[in-house]
Order: sequence, then C-alpha cells, then structure tokens
Amino acid sequence: MPVELISANHAAALAATLAGRANRTARGFCSGVYPITPSTECMEYLCGQEIEKGKVVRADSEHNAMGICIGASASGARSFTTTCSNGLAYMIENCVAAAGYRLPIVMSVANRTLGPPWNIWADHGDSLMMRDLGWLQLYSADNQEVFDTVLCAFKLAEDPRVMMPALTCMDGFILSHTMAQVEVPSQEQVDRFLPPTDIPQRLDKSAHTLGQMETPHQSVVHRMQHHQAMLTAQQVYAEIQDSFEEVFGRRPADPLVTYRAEDAETLIVSMGTLGVTAERVVDQLREQGQAVGSVRVRMFRPVLDGDLRKIFAGKKRIAVLDRDVSIGFGGVLWGEVRGFAEPATIVQNYMVGVGGGDVRPEHMLTLLAELEQSHESGAPQIVEVA
Amino acid sequence: MGHKKSTVSSKRTSSKAGLPSDISFPLEIRLHGRGGQGGVTCAKLIAAIYAQLGLNVQTFGDYGAERSGAPVRAFTRVDPEPIKNRNKVYRPDHLLVLDAALLGPQVLDGVAAGAVILLNSAERAEKYVERFVDFRFGIIDATGIARKHGIGTSSVVIINTTLVGAYAKLLGLPLEVLEEAYRKMGLVDDLPAAKEAYLEVCVRQPAGAVTGEAVGGELENSLPPVKPQTEHAEDIPSRLKTGNWSTQLPGYEDYLAPCNHACPAGNDVVGFIQALKTSGPDAAAEVLLRTQALPSVCGRVCPAPCMHECNRIQMDGAVNIRSLERWISDHSEFLLQAEMADKVFSLAVVGGGPAGLSTAYQLALRGHQVTLFEKEAKLGGVLRYGIPVYRLPDEVLERDLKRILSLGIRSECEHPVDQAEMQRLHTEFDAVIVSKGFSDAYTLSAAGETLDGIEQGLDFLARNREAELKAELSGDVVVIGGGNTAIDCARSALRSGASSVKLVYRRSRDEMPAIDEEIEDAIREGVQLLALRQPVAFRGVGQVAGIVLAEVELGEPDADGRRRPLVTERTTELTCSKVLLALGQENELGLLPDAWQLRDARAWAAEEPLNIWFAGDCSTADGTVTHAIGNGRLTALAALASLSGAESTTTQLQQGSLVAPAQVRFSHFPILAPHQDRHKTLESYRNSFEEVNLGLSSQEEAERCFSCGRCTQCDTCLVYCPDGVISRTDSGYRIDEEYCKGCGICAAECPRRAMDLKDKGLSDAS
Repeated sequence: MPVELISANHAAALAATLAGRANRTARGFCSGVYPITPSTECMEYLCGQEIEKGKVVRADSEHNAMGICIGASASGARSFTTTCSNGLAYMIENCVAAAGYRLPIVMSVANRTLGPPWNIWADHGDSLMMRDLGWLQLYSADNQEVFDTVLCAFKLAEDPRVMMPALTCMDGFILSHTMAQVEVPSQEQVDRFLPPTDIPQRLDKSAHTLGQMETPHQSVVHRMQHHQAMLTAQQVYAEIQDSFEEVFGRRPADPLVTYRAEDAETLIVSMGTLGVTAERVVDQLREQGQAVGSVRVRMFRPVLDGDLRKIFAGKKRIAVLDRDVSIGFGGVLWGEVRGFAEPATIVQNYMVGVGGGDVRPEHMLTLLAELEQSHESGAPQIVEVA
Repeated sequence: MGHKKSTVSSKRTSSKAGLPSDISFPLEIRLHGRGGQGGVTCAKLIAAIYAQLGLNVQTFGDYGAERSGAPVRAFTRVDPEPIKNRNKVYRPDHLLVLDAALLGPQVLDGVAAGAVILLNSAERAEKYVERFVDFRFGIIDATGIARKHGIGTSSVVIINTTLVGAYAKLLGLPLEVLEEAYRKMGLVDDLPAAKEAYLEVCVRQPAGAVTGEAVGGELENSLPPVKPQTEHAEDIPSRLKTGNWSTQLPGYEDYLAPCNHACPAGNDVVGFIQALKTSGPDAAAEVLLRTQALPSVCGRVCPAPCMHECNRIQMDGAVNIRSLERWISDHSEFLLQAEMADKVFSLAVVGGGPAGLSTAYQLALRGHQVTLFEKEAKLGGVLRYGIPVYRLPDEVLERDLKRILSLGIRSECEHPVDQAEMQRLHTEFDAVIVSKGFSDAYTLSAAGETLDGIEQGLDFLARNREAELKAELSGDVVVIGGGNTAIDCARSALRSGASSVKLVYRRSRDEMPAIDEEIEDAIREGVQLLALRQPVAFRGVGQVAGIVLAEVELGEPDADGRRRPLVTERTTELTCSKVLLALGQENELGLLPDAWQLRDARAWAAEEPLNIWFAGDCSTADGTVTHAIGNGRLTALAALASLSGAESTTTQLQQGSLVAPAQVRFSHFPILAPHQDRHKTLESYRNSFEEVNLGLSSQEEAERCFSCGRCTQCDTCLVYCPDGVISRTDSGYRIDEEYCKGCGICAAECPRRAMDLKDKGLSDAS
C-alpha cells in the first residue's frame, strides 16, 4: 500500500475524500466547512479535492457548516466536517439536531482548549462537551489511526443498526499538525470497504418531516432507540475491524487499547496521545520490575463498561489521566470509568496537559511514584504542566 | 523529582542502507528559525529524506501565537522502530539554526557535546569555532545561496531547500540521496542551490572526546515542575505580560511622501494638504509659507513634479496638488511673522525674480535685513516679463510680492549691478546673493535668421506684458520650441491677433518639456502642433515670408534618456509673417570681477571663499520657477549658516524613506476621480488676456490625499489591534508594550504606511 508523509489533519481529510468518492454511484458527497485553528488544514485539504458528485461548501459559520451537513445527509449524501473548540461550541446546537435526526455525519475534531482566555493548544474539553448528545466518539493517537478511524467511523455511523453521527478526535497540534507516514489505500479498496450509503429516513424517497413535534411517550421511545443503537456500536465496530482487515490487510486499532495490562497491579487510563506516552512509561517501569499497564480509551461513546470492568478487575491502583477539567467535578474520563473499578481499587484522577502542556514520561513517573504511596483514592488533582 | 535524566530510550545504531554509520536512533532533530523563514517546512524536508530511506519519521512545529519574526521551533524524529514519543525534542542530536541572531542558551538548551550543529550565517566558521569546539559544526550562507538562485522573493528569501543541502553534507549523506529526495518531492528547481550548499558548507569535527554533557542550560531547567501547586496558586492566575512574547514592536513614524520628495521648492505637500483638510486655508498657509515665498504663482505655473509622483496615480489619478496650493493662496490672507535673529545680518540680493524673491523672503523671515536689487522697473523677473497675464494675472503676482515685502525687505528697482557695483555690495553688506537668472536667449543659426519678423519669444512676451500695450500681430505665426515659453508665445500670439499659430518642435509631443495641461490648453485654443520638424532656413526679402522645415526622425536615447533627433533631407516650406524663437537661454554670469572665480555656487578670490553666493537659474540652470524658489531658500540657509560659522545642515530638500505605491493600502480609500480645474471658455481668445484657468471650485480635492507616510489618526490601527493594546492620546496613539504581542497587524493594516515594525533585538540573556 502506498505510504504518504502527511499531517493527521490531512489524513482525516484524505480519508473523508476517499469515502466521499466511494458514494459517487449513490447520492454523492456534500460537506459544509468553516475554518478554525487547529482544524483548518483539514478543511483546506478537503476544499482542494476533486470529488466526483461531491461538493464542499465554504459556509459562513460553524453553525451553518453543520446545517449544510444536515441538509446533505438528509438528502442521502455522505457528509463530513471538521471544527474544534469554540467553533464546535457554536456548531453544537445543530449537532444536537444532527443526532436527533440520526444522520450519519462524520466530524473530525482537532481537540483544542475552549476559551476565553484564549488558548489554541490541545485539550479534550471541546469534544467532551458533546458527551451526552447521541454522537459516537472515537479518539486517536497517531496519524495512521486518524486515517483508519475516519474510514471506520463512516461505516459505523452508516450501519443501519447504528445510524447516527460520529466524532473522530485527535489532539490539536500534537497530532493534527504532526506529519508522519500514513498507508493510503486505493479508491477501489475504499469502494469495497465502504459501499454506497443508504440513509433510510432520507427526504428524497417520499415527502415527510424529520424531527417533528412529538409526545413524551414518543420521545421516550426515540431516546431508547437511539441509546440501544449506540450500545450496538461496539459489536458493529468489531465486525468493521474484520471487514477492514479483509480489504486493507491491516487491522484498525481496538476500541480499548490495552498495553501490558493483564498482569498489571497499577493501570494508567487515558485518551489520545497521552496513552502513547503512558505506554513508554509502562515499558520503563516494567524494566524496573514494576507491574504497570495502560489502557487507552479510543471509543469514549458508547462507553465500554463491560470491557472496562474486566480490565480493571483485581487492580491495586488505577491512575486516570484526563486532558480536560469538568469544572466543579474533576476529570470527565475519571467520572466515566471510576465506577467500573472494584471497591478495593484505589482510583486516582490526575488532570494533566490541560490547555496543551507537553506531558512527558517524567511527569507521569512522578505521579505514579506518588500514587504508589497512597492508601486511598484522593480528590482529583489538577497537575500544572507548562 | 528524581527523574531528571531521561531514561526512556537508549540509543541504538543502525546499519540502514545509505545512512552514515554514526547515526544513532531514535534520532531527534531540533530546528530554530524565525516566523516566515520556512523552518517548519525545513524540518518536514528533512523528515521526507529520512522517510525515503525507509525510516519512520515524525515532524512537527512548535506552534504559538502568531507574531512576525518570532522565534519558531520545529522538530523531526527518526527511528527504524515505530515512534511512540509524542513530546517535543528536549535533547536534540542535530540542531539547525536558521538565524545566527537566535543563538543563545535557549537555543542550545539540552544540546550535548558531540551533537551536530548547523548554522545559517554569512560569517566565517572561525567566529564560532571556539564556541562549538565540542560539536560537529557546520556553517553555510544559505541565505546568500538561496538569494543568488532566486528562491523566494528579494525581500523574503526562502532558505529551507538550500539549508537541507548543507545538512545532508554535514551528515555524510551521499549527494544521490539528496537528488532523489528532491526529485520525489518535486523540488528539482531548488536542487542547484541545495547542491551548492552541499559543496560549500564548512564542516568542523568535534575537538576532544565526547562527554555527553549538555552545554546549554541544565536539562532540568527545561522541565517544568510537576507537583500540584494548589497551595500557592492564586485564585486568578497572575497576569501574563504577552509583550514578552514579541520580537518586534510596531511604532508610528513619518515616512517621506513622493510628492514631498519631488517638490523642487521643498514644500511639505502632505502637511499643507492635510492642514487644509482638517483646519482650513489659514492653517494650510502656515505650513506652506514656511518654504514657499510665491504660493499664488506656483499654484498656477508650477510644472508640479509632485503630481507626476503622486501615489494616487496608481489608483484613480494624481491629487490636483498645484490647484490646491492655488486654492490656499487665493483663500488665505495669512502672514508668517518674521523671527528675531540672535545676530542680525545685512544682506544684498541681486535679482528680483523667483530665486531672488525666495532668497530675500527666507532671509527676512529669519529676522535679517535684506536689500533687493532689480534692474527692471518692477520686481518679478520672469514672473512679470516672461509669463503671460492670462496664466499669471498682475494682481496675483502683486499679492505674493506684497506678502514678501511686508517682512521689511527694502527693494531698489532700476538698479542694475555690474562688476563695480558688485565690488561695492561685497564690501557694504555682510553677504551678497546673486540670482540674476538666465541671460541671452539661444538662436537657431539658420540661414535668414536676421530677417525682420523673426524675434526672440521672451522679448515678445515682455512687450506683451508691458503696461496695456499688447503686441499687435497679424497673419501666420510660427513659434519654434517645446518648452513653457514656446507655449506661452503661441497662446499669446493667438491672443494678439495672429490668424494662425503653428508650434514647431523637433522631437515628439511626449518629449515636450512644457506642462502637459498647458499643451492641451494651447491645442484647444487653436494652436497647431508640428512635431518632429527642424527649421533649417528662413525665406523672405527683408521681411520673413516662409520657413523651411526638415522632417526629423528619432534615434537612440541621449544621455538624458530622450531620443536623439536626427534631421532628414526631406523638407517642406511654410509661409509665415512672424517667427518667435523659444529655444531656451544661455547661462552667463559676467558680473564678477576678473580676479574672482565661481565654484560650488559661491565666489572665490584665490583660495578664499567670499560671502557671495549664487542662487536660481544663474547657478543651477534648472529652468523652472519652482526650482528657483527651492534653490533660493537653500542658498539663503547656506549663507546664514556660513555667516554664523556653522556648517549648513540643509543641503537637500527633504530626505527619508520614500513611501512606495505598494505600501499604500488602496482598498482603504474610496475611488474618487480628481477634481479638475474649471476653465473659462471664450468664443475667441483673440485680444483677451483674461485668466482662463479658474482653479478648483472647492477644497474637496484635499480629501483625496492619502497622506502617504504620515498618520492622520484614522483609527485603523486601533480598530484592527486584536488585543486592544492601542489607545488614543492627545497627539496620536499609545501602544501598550507590556501586552503588544508584535503580531504586526496594525502596521499591515495602516492605509498610509505611517507605521512600521521594529526589531526589539534578541538578547542572549533572555
């Protein structure tokens, strides 16, 4: 497979382009985009592509960019956009609609700190703001993963059992602006992996209304359907991994990436590139004879409670590293996963690299050395990393 | 802490094909440059080369708030194994520095002995050898090479592709690897520069044994504290002085507008137009009258080189500066008051033309006693006797003269100065300034030139001007020449009763030195232009009856850039009853005693400079009223400086960095066609010497002035500043340097180049 040296932003856009072309025999591709650092390069790349039966619309705001995606998807096109930070915050009202309409739009987010005060660097707080809206959420840790995840996200979102929008996230700058080798499949391969999309509720089939007024009982049923559909995503994703491997000869990363976790006493739980640094720390401490392992949560929504319970079983200590702060609470990931640990396990939350600090192995080693001395779970700690 | 030394990875050496054996992995490269130099792309190029060798690479920039010229870092990591390191590079094996001014502890931070350092600098390697004795050190003038090969633009040279050539050599990569990489990346155009750098780079090997200790700051310094600091954290973080981020600071500065630069009189054109716009004619006159003794005159007869240089030409037409000057002089009675001089000198000015009047005016303005000697009955010189009244009415000239004389200048008319008189003035006055203008007019030296009816144009104009006695003409008149005097003669001849007027000029119309608008006026009034014709003979018995004209072709350009006229054998004959010659004037002084010489516009006796200066056409032969006024002022200042024992500082009119059209942001200004002068249309110009150009109908034209290079307090900078650090003061603006990040948006948005960015200077201590 040809290898290209591209940034993760370009990898996401290239995957979206290939996916868009793959729908040329059906209703085509249409995307509304609006720039914001550090997601801009993704939309720039997309704007420069020739996509047969495709249109990339430069919108006048993030809100309208999502509006265009909704319109495109509701008429049966494959649709993709990219934004982050306050751009995502501005888009979010339409993101709620996209989820409610159950439209399989894929969005790439180069995670960036929400302002003000302004900060352009990596923080997961923006996409985590979307936690409860009915979007699938996947976090990547290298350029190849970003490329693969966007392709998988289309297939996952468009699966009739799932049928809902998906967020694919990468750390702003740390990943979005890093160039590295990416294996890029041929269009023919992508066509095989990602057949034309069929959106059952699309508007061109018969005249009808999407998302009309409904009674409390109808809403309960719709919420239940959406919730159940999201819960099937884990199983569907496993099938997608198989089919991906069959077509591309390479297996996309698991929803939970465990590393030397099985026999570990201490576990580091994290998302995004923090997880790769955690693996380096694991290697280092294993060399010193310490039983440490790592879990990198790639699939944040749906939450993989069953698998996490199994992985957490019997652990002495779990350090949950969050690149976010839920103000007045602690780390969002910590809040999600702490309940899956056994009562005897010490679960400690460290919020590190908030606002984009360069979290180095040395930082994690210091935190783990401290955790080693603890006898109970403490309050979540915000760690200052410049 | 306890983890200050990185133990995460131990280095491995590799035997990868094409790579020098002493490269160990993981390889970490750090690059330091400035915003805009292409440092991030350079790191990517290096990554691409390693990727081509089959290694895993990762490359990224260290992104911060956008600032012009700010220090920028970029990193590249290389490993045969998959790369799991997602951190910045703190202990680089290879360090590339794109700008020697950046060299300092921060740049060298974490660089251990034995590392590879490549510096872009035009300096000799010896300058750095001692400093980098423990490193494999390379130095290359990548900027010079890239400039030579024309990579980038003349102002922004892009050096990354060149520098990578030197890097390849420093590593010991074969040239073929470089060629292959550039071919694959579509950079073959830059390959010659890269090859030159490959061959030119000067490489020094490390001197002693490699110890592996970092020479920069201790590595720990770059590792921020890890422990929670909640106990001493304030509720609100301390204020971040973002001004510390900046490497450049914007500031307000006056730059030279092209009109000011072009004005032969040294007028502050931008100054008087802006004063007119904001405060009216009196305020404008106050600016104008400092340099300009004759604004009513210049506002009518100046060839206005300012308008030819006006930046607005590139947008919608030059500002009608000449007529704005006229508007000010016609609408203001303002008088500048004479200053009190510390020591009052008594000076004689010989010649009451524009240069003499300007000289006398400037001297009197500075509080000195001036006596003006004029050989004719009235002051004015060429203004009174050479320019016809329909262009310069008597009352207009009188108005300027009255203002000049009101400064207390004594004038003695009908007082010619010969050699003896010159001697007397020299002894009686502290200094004498001679501005007698041109002397005799040129003749043609063609056969028949002495026939009756052939006359010098200047004599005709003088007679025409004299009292109410208009020179009566009849029949066909031919005027020979292409300057303003020729045009004046032609139009005056028409007014004096000629049945036809033909203007004969030896070059083409484009090369006529006369003011464009005057040529147009003449043609409109009925003057026929015969260009590319040279008179070779006059016919007639006693009285001129015809003129033989040879056709002219234009040859190669002369020293002055105009194409040389080549007279052909083809001739035609015109009948005529009057010929006026307007061929220019000679410059002959002849009033200095024989023992004196003229040197550098000053009289000398033997090797002694005398207090006698020369000003205007008799000294410079520039030939326009405006040049004479400017030279008169400068000569007055030079004379005063010399009398006071000081060196003259004002040797030129106005100096400074010129504002180019590209530096004016046209999009800021609405398109607005120039306001044209109003012209009085007469049924017949015959026998009418009324002023036909009535000037502007309002001062609205002043609104069109860009005010190039001078702040008008338009608030654009204040509006565009993204950080709100610009505030108004009484006289302009203040920039809060504590918070200005130096992004440069204000200077880029300034519509008129009244702002610029200045380097703050990077200090090693920072």
